[in-house]
Amino acid sequence: MNNFAVLAKKEFVQMVREFKVIWLPLVFIFLGITQPVVSYYLPSILEALGGGQGITIDPSMAAQKGGEVLASTLGSQFDQLGVMIIIVSMMGVVQSDKANGMLAFILTRPVTVGSYISGKIISNYLFVACSVALGYLVSYLYVVFLFTSVDFGDLIVALLFYLLWILFIVSFTTMISTIFNSQGIIALISIVFLLGCRIIVGLSPVIDNVNPASMSKHAMEVLILGTVNSQALWGVLAALAWTAVTILITNIWISKKKFNNE
Amino acid sequence: MKLEIKNVTKKFKEKTAVNNFSMELQSGECVGLIGPNGAGKSTLIKVIADIIDPSTGEVLLDGKKISKMKKEIGYLPQYPNFFQWMTAKETLTFMGQLSGIKREELLNGIPEILSKVGLSGEENSKVRTFSGGMKQRLGIAQALLHKPALIVMDEPVSALDPIGRREVLNIIKEIKKDTTILLSTHILSDAEEICERFVIIKSGKKIEDTTMSELLNRNSGNKINVDITSKSQKWIENVKSLNFVKGVEVMGNKLKIEVEDIESNKNMLLANALEHNVDLVRFEIDNDTLEEIFLKLVVEK
Ligand SMILES: Nc1ncnc2c1ncn2[C@@H]1O[C@H](COP(=O)(O)OP(=O)(O)OP(=O)(O)O)[C@@H](O)[C@H]1O
Ligand SMILES: [Mg+2]
Repeated sequence: MNNFAVLAKKEFVQMVREFKVIWLPLVFIFLGITQPVVSYYLPSILEALGGGQGITIDPSMAAQKGGEVLASTLGSQFDQLGVMIIIVSMMGVVQSDKANGMLAFILTRPVTVGSYISGKIISNYLFVACSVALGYLVSYLYVVFLFTSVDFGDLIVALLFYLLWILFIVSFTTMISTIFNSQGIIALISIVFLLGCRIIVGLSPVIDNVNPASMSKHAMEVLILGTVNSQALWGVLAALAWTAVTILITNIWISKKKFNNE
Repeated sequence: MKLEIKNVTKKFKEKTAVNNFSMELQSGECVGLIGPNGAGKSTLIKVIADIIDPSTGEVLLDGKKISKMKKEIGYLPQYPNFFQWMTAKETLTFMGQLSGIKREELLNGIPEILSKVGLSGEENSKVRTFSGGMKQRLGIAQALLHKPALIVMDEPVSALDPIGRREVLNIIKEIKKDTTILLSTHILSDAEEICERFVIIKSGKKIEDTTMSELLNRNSGNKINVDITSKSQKWIENVKSLNFVKGVEVMGNKLKIEVEDIESNKNMLLANALEHNVDLVRFEIDNDTLEEIFLKLVVEK
């Protein structure tokens, strides 16, 4: 086994031992169920509550299309609570290795910084991506059951876009976790920055083209409109480029041994 | 194997932890790096283990940069820490695989090394449940596992109780037979027990590079301690009048006699005592204890 495989395997074993392998998918399944169920029952709940007081329910709300509901699962659930939970679950990814000296210790072995980082990012990304995909799939099943069905091709294309945004989230959080030493600061910076990226999506097409969070918008558009935005390629390239930048910074930071808090 | 530390200086912002330190280590040697708290021992050892880069200077193993020779080095940190959720066996498998040892080799190597450090029976216990001494032993096992040419240990026994200390010292004595060892400690007598050579470091500077016997000889002050019984008190006046005696300190029945040359004078003094039928209780060369030598070196220099 090469060092990358040894380190990645250690990450997976750790996820199992710390029960992350159970709770993170459960969180995303829960988030995935929430949107279709709430959208479906909300009109009748409001009706029951508002009964005699003459609140009128917008009929279009009751008749949402499946794609729209699935899009709001991404936009309203995953992009808010979901992103925060990913960040919190990953804030210690490198920080805890620094804190207990394991990073320095591992690097006294003939291990390259590259295999350490790729072991971290690839294993964590695979796991987070599977959790997200699972939640998304469950959401899809509920949507099909409660609303209209969604084109399977659109479903997959949207997921792929979305997982690219997740890739950036994972690599960005890893970078922040490498640079800063306090979990609170790491969570704060990552949440503010990543949610900030997501909020400014749609303000300007120029910014969107270099904003990795626009991947989420493209995913939603595919689900709602059934077509891929012509600008999506720029967003894909931007997301990949920014991911590469974060990995590069992480690599330099560890190679220069800056983590030994000099 | 040859380790060369060449003019290593390490600065932390304003503070110089290691100051222009040089030394060489030959294959098979066991060297104790001794210094008080904050002397720069851990910093120097971390430079050797390639955990921190020196500000200036370099460390070479067999003429090659230390960062290219990691397979040849085993490192035991001052406070060994492992993944709490791993078992002892998993820890060694993990570190062993990172060192490039094959799975089959580990299968035999791990039980062997665990019994060597006295941890057999604990292979499936979580590191979380380990005491300080057990972690220290696991740390030693990990440092030995890949059969490095050089083992660097940062205070391997300082944190242990007398029993653990004894056991770990014995383990080190055992491994010293086939490996080169550099270990740091602030307890001279620990180093004395396992190492022939000492390097004393203070405020980041090397102030001494010597052997135990040399150190003891150099510090003996031409004095002889003689204990007598009270009925021989009158001999004291006689001693004072001897021409090679430079001074006598009397504390009850204990005498501290300073002579001109210890080698030739010690037997003359003894002969004189026998001649006068002195009732001797003790007759010995006055040596500074290791503690005293250590204090002298690090406080005075
Ligand atoms: N990361 C760091 N940042 C700033 N100063 C440091 C750092 N590490 C060590 N020092 C300083 O360098 C000096 C030497 O520290 P070092 O840990 O090497 O001492 P030591 O000889 O190992 O002491 P001890 O016996 O207590 O382990 C100390 O004065 C310490 O304050
Ligand atoms: Mg130290």
